[in-house]
Amino acid sequence: MSRVYNWQLGREMDYPFEGVRPEKQFAMIFDTNKCIACQTCTVACKTTWTSGRGQEHMLWNNVETKPYGYYPLGWDVNILDQHGVQEMDGPEYQGKTLFEAAPDGEIVLGYTPDDEDWAYPNIGEDDCTGSMEQGALLTMPHMQWMYYLPRICNHCTYPACLSACPRQSIYKRPEDGIVLLDQQRCRGYRECVKGCPYKKVMFNSVTRVSEKCIGCYPAIENNRQTQCTITCIGKIRLQGFISRPDEIREDNPMDYLIHVAKIGKPLYPQFGLEPNTFYIPPIHVPPQYLRQMFGWGVEDAIDTYKRASEDPQLLGAMLLFGATPEIIHHFKVEGRNVIGYDDKRAEVVRVPMREPIYMRVEYDSDLDVHRTNVT
Amino acid sequence: MNKTAFHCSLAAALVVGMAAAPVAAADTLRAVPVDATGPFNDPESEVWDQAPAVTVSLNPQQVTRPHHADIAVTELTVRAVNNGNWVGILIEWDDDTRDDWFVTDAFGDQVAVQFPVEGPASPMMGNPGGKVNILQWRAAFQRDLVDGEPDIRDLYPYALVDVYPDEVLRVTDARAFAGAMGVDNPVARPFESPVLEQMAEGWSSLTVKPMQHADGWGVWEDGTWRVAITRPANQIMPGDPDLSRGTETQAAFAVWDGGNREVGGRKSWSGWIDLKVEE
Repeated sequence: MSRVYNWQLGREMDYPFEGVRPEKQFAMIFDTNKCIACQTCTVACKTTWTSGRGQEHMLWNNVETKPYGYYPLGWDVNILDQHGVQEMDGPEYQGKTLFEAAPDGEIVLGYTPDDEDWAYPNIGEDDCTGSMEQGALLTMPHMQWMYYLPRICNHCTYPACLSACPRQSIYKRPEDGIVLLDQQRCRGYRECVKGCPYKKVMFNSVTRVSEKCIGCYPAIENNRQTQCTITCIGKIRLQGFISRPDEIREDNPMDYLIHVAKIGKPLYPQFGLEPNTFYIPPIHVPPQYLRQMFGWGVEDAIDTYKRASEDPQLLGAMLLFGATPEIIHHFKVEGRNVIGYDDKRAEVVRVPMREPIYMRVEYDSDLDVHRTNVT
Repeated sequence: MNKTAFHCSLAAALVVGMAAAPVAAADTLRAVPVDATGPFNDPESEVWDQAPAVTVSLNPQQVTRPHHADIAVTELTVRAVNNGNWVGILIEWDDDTRDDWFVTDAFGDQVAVQFPVEGPASPMMGNPGGKVNILQWRAAFQRDLVDGEPDIRDLYPYALVDVYPDEVLRVTDARAFAGAMGVDNPVARPFESPVLEQMAEGWSSLTVKPMQHADGWGVWEDGTWRVAITRPANQIMPGDPDLSRGTETQAAFAVWDGGNREVGGRKSWSGWIDLKVEE
């Protein structure tokens, strides 16, 4: 075991390998407040990558309704139950990570889902926590609630799948931090399926080896964001690279949202994998639930998010979501626009900070009609 | 990730493992000479009646993680024969369930016999500089040979699929959608035998040999597996063990009970057993 630094936990932790960070790290931010679970991302991923034999059940990208949706069934409540109650109140995590909680003989605390658990990707869809009293009015946070959680592989800095593989068939690319599973080397032991707490490694019963999200690396290598990101009709995602915690750049939209404004929060940081997909928490959900899912600081994140219009940098970064298929490495707010640049600082997109509004008269005398929509 | 550090820790664990390796209470395994044609791949052949049985004790693999302390199989009965050209090993063990297919939570029964090839080798898949030859029989791959490789409706009868890439694309274009099959992963592509011939020089180094010479077959009946594994007695390729007549060498065994979710390092294993290929 090595001691590695996990910035999301604010402390060092045990990990089976030395802590070597990649040159740059694949990352994604999801605005859960904008996701409508249309599953366009899911279908884009499915048709691009998992249309083959044995991949029928695989959704490398999925969107589940929280709190009662899961893919596979019960993935998070199962591992949370095994993990037990942990102290988590920041700025330093007091509880145990899944590596530190591993039972004797195991590298990481985990479980193998039942085969049938993969058969209900839409379970709990749109299910609310409960019903409202007749005549009740919603207040914030909502008394009864649900929200959508889009998920891909987190391309963790300290992947449990990678550490659990006895054959070292899983590797993390030094150039972009994408975690890949070598399809030639894997022998289908499914230690990765057991070890990944997010259950984002899946077993192919036809090829008899495991498979996982590849972070659309052929697109990434061509400076293009992932399929799930560029097809998102709600523009809820931004994919790019997060800098090392000691090399934060304020002109990197990912860094700004995650490290500076701190509105992007990791998924179950207490597991200790340092996941690299981040979520803007839903503003209407009770903070107790959100703290368990996204760690401490969710209340501040929601507060900052609600006041985004007061911070041009934050608003600018958020307007880059879904604005271009290119990966944005730098951004700048200039006058009435936010401008996104690629890694060579060439402009790739320009978005107005405020959409222009055009007003039309209610009555058109030329056509002798009344308009119902004047903006 | 630093693989060197990992290998160093493996090597350290290996030394501990060898020192702590339980001594199997087994007599010498005698591969008795028989007047029969090889290969000896029929577990129900009468040829095995000529060979004395040796009991081999098994212990859980507990030197490297992950491991499974609660193993299902603790004892094997082993017989061996040779005819000068082929060596055959018959391995029998009790197993209440025949596990011979794969889905996410279903693992297959397997058994392996290992021979030292080069240098003093650890009984646990060798070590750097200590090469071993491993012949691994796998129940699920035998089932493929009998029933054909399963498609999705064999595994899930109500599965609905509209079209697969290999139905509409040219072979070369469809390969990219075939996962491990498309890159010829040796556990994904079909073989002519349920026995896979492999090399190892320590954990995580198990490699399928490009030329396969071993064969075998298993029969499960009344809660017992009887598996015959056979290979040529003489060295054909580099890395082959010498099992020619008069040779005194060693063999070690490993068993996986799929029903007990034993796979990879979660297995029961034996120490080295003396093996004499008799003239």
